[in-house]
Amino acid sequence: MHKQALLSNIHCFDSLPPEIQERLAKIAVLRHFEAGQVIYLEGEPAESVFIIKNGWIKATRMSSEGREQALLFLHENDIFGDIAVFTHTTYPGTVTALEAVDLWVVPAETVLQLARQYPDLAMEIIRRMGERVLYYVELIEDLSLRSVEARAARTLLRNAGVKNERLIVPRQAWTTFDEMAVRLGTVRDVLSRALHTLENEGLLKIERQEIVLLDPKGLARRGDV
Amino acid sequence: MTQQLRTPTDNELRNIILDRFAADERTASLTLRVGVLNGVVHLAGVVSSIEAWISAAELAEDVSGVRGVVNRIEAPGAPKPARTIHLSLSPDKKQDS
Repeated sequence: MHKQALLSNIHCFDSLPPEIQERLAKIAVLRHFEAGQVIYLEGEPAESVFIIKNGWIKATRMSSEGREQALLFLHENDIFGDIAVFTHTTYPGTVTALEAVDLWVVPAETVLQLARQYPDLAMEIIRRMGERVLYYVELIEDLSLRSVEARAARTLLRNAGVKNERLIVPRQAWTTFDEMAVRLGTVRDVLSRALHTLENEGLLKIERQEIVLLDPKGLARRGDV
Repeated sequence: MTQQLRTPTDNELRNIILDRFAADERTASLTLRVGVLNGVVHLAGVVSSIEAWISAAELAEDVSGVRGVVNRIEAPGAPKPARTIHLSLSPDKKQDS
């Protein structure tokens, strides 16, 4: 697919006049990262905004005790790196490819210039950042007020979909217990115990490729604790 | 009269570390990425030996004001997941931070 057509698929850009989409498409550079490769580091100068063409990435932040906390998991058409660019700070987290990913890389200065020129784009960026703030409020609430079991129950419900008349959470190749623990702000052993507790209560069933949610209402109740 | 030492900013620490990498023969030819947040140094890049992996971390650790190093540099034999943090630095460094 043509680069411009790909960029116009992204909600943030679809309302932009074609000439601006074309300008973005000309400037954006496609870069490939293999699983595990660092895309940027926390504390690096924010020089670019990234748009995911395909694949999954994670943004994490390391605590001073050495524990990694997941901030975001993003995939196709998601944008990252923008907060640091618009706040003129360094990147607040480290972004790593979870699988082979292709990214459009747009220089920070171009994005800033376009946002100044096009109010529709600026409004869209504000909306996205507002959503991100709400997401982080929820993350803080999760981490500070909820048990690991409750966090796991909520995360599973949020990521569930129907397949063959079963409510399941598909497990990506990289969805290891370690990655899930980073996502939930805990460690592997604690997460493993929490999931097995939920399994023993008949709320879910852990299978190799997916987690089957047997009792969504029960899980929702556990998630509110 | 004693003089209070000012803690370097993250940006200053980053510049010092990049300068050290450029000046040291073990790392001068390497393309290493450095981020510093709240005094913790984050390293990335690809090197061909575990010795280079260790040298980079040691050079960064040795900078006054650094609270820890997260080493995500890819190298043969480097620990995976490729991250390590060293907060048990020497006592005088702890005072600095």
